[in-house]
Amino acid sequence: MSCAFEEDLTAWVDGELPPPHRARMEAHLGTCAECQGTERLLRLTVARMAELPAFTPSPSARRELLARVDALPPTWRERFAHILKPGVLVPSAGLAAAAVLTLLVAGRTRVEAPALEEWDPGALEVAANLELVEDYEVLGLNSSEDLEVVENLHELGVQ
Amino acid sequence: MGFKVGVARNFHRATGFAASRMDWDPDTQAMLKVAAGDKQAFAWLFDRHHASVARFAFRFVGDAARAEELTQDIFVKLYRHARSYKPTAKFKTFLFRVATNHCLNEMRRGEYRVARLTAEAPAEDDAGAMQMPGPDGDRPDQALSGRELEAAVGMALKDLSDRERAAFTMCRFEGMAYRDIAEALEASEAAVKSLIHRATLAVARRIEALQAGTVPARSRA
Repeated sequence: MSCAFEEDLTAWVDGELPPPHRARMEAHLGTCAECQGTERLLRLTVARMAELPAFTPSPSARRELLARVDALPPTWRERFAHILKPGVLVPSAGLAAAAVLTLLVAGRTRVEAPALEEWDPGALEVAANLELVEDYEVLGLNSSEDLEVVENLHELGVQ
Repeated sequence: MGFKVGVARNFHRATGFAASRMDWDPDTQAMLKVAAGDKQAFAWLFDRHHASVARFAFRFVGDAARAEELTQDIFVKLYRHARSYKPTAKFKTFLFRVATNHCLNEMRRGEYRVARLTAEAPAEDDAGAMQMPGPDGDRPDQALSGRELEAAVGMALKDLSDRERAAFTMCRFEGMAYRDIAEALEASEAAVKSLIHRATLAVARRIEALQAGTVPARSRA
């Protein structure tokens, strides 16, 4: 095929040529026997495609596909949407609130001060002399032995 | 099928699509529902379009069982990527873009080879589900029987490039416009015009040769 119009013949047969090209093709076909023959062949071929046997997918295709889709792992969006359902959200929120409450109660119990009689006697003595201890801490004394030495300095006769 | 206004609003925001939701065809509305996770809408879309996709896949690979597998894969892909659908494109065009890309990728990966359709009669228990019409000898201009015609077309399609075959199939068996085929193939309309012309002419020549008796139908199987 050497005719410059040949390339447009199928689009012409399919009615896909824009109007200006269509008019030129129509005029050309009146004069070109080669293109007339090709056009006939193309039209016959296009018409014969309708005679081809139909392809019928198997009836189980739908069931198999839906089973495959059901088996897909949920996306993050689906998981989030599931969480937001009232049936899931309300019990979850209740559980979360209960957990928070439990933690708060447990925390409060932990920081609650013990009764005075439960305190260690040594600790009570330190507390009674807190002012003195603070002074010692300023001096950099932090061991109980050092504190004892300082406390008994007068017995050592230091002037 | 009810329509979720919230989903539509989100799509308006996301895409800037100006048309009102009343302008969307039922396929588009169903696809938006699929994007929101509605499996019933997905089943509805499958019922409407699976025959087209299966036909496309069958003409593309030339084998009924493989066409079934490809069709399933295409619809699973459609479901998984439903959220990427924008209602600016016709649903059928979007579907065939997914289908074409999937078939082309599978061919590139070498998992499928185009099977030659032969003029041999299928076995009785053949699961190919082909409905073959009988000989059509009473029309002088159509000396080829349905099976011979099927074989001639199958052989011609096998010899086409993947893109020629895809364009030809969408045009001849799905009746899609060149513009929609161009969108599905992500090509220009001029390129599609050329693909369809070469493919149609190749099929025409094959039928012509077979009809003239210059190429025996069973020699290429």
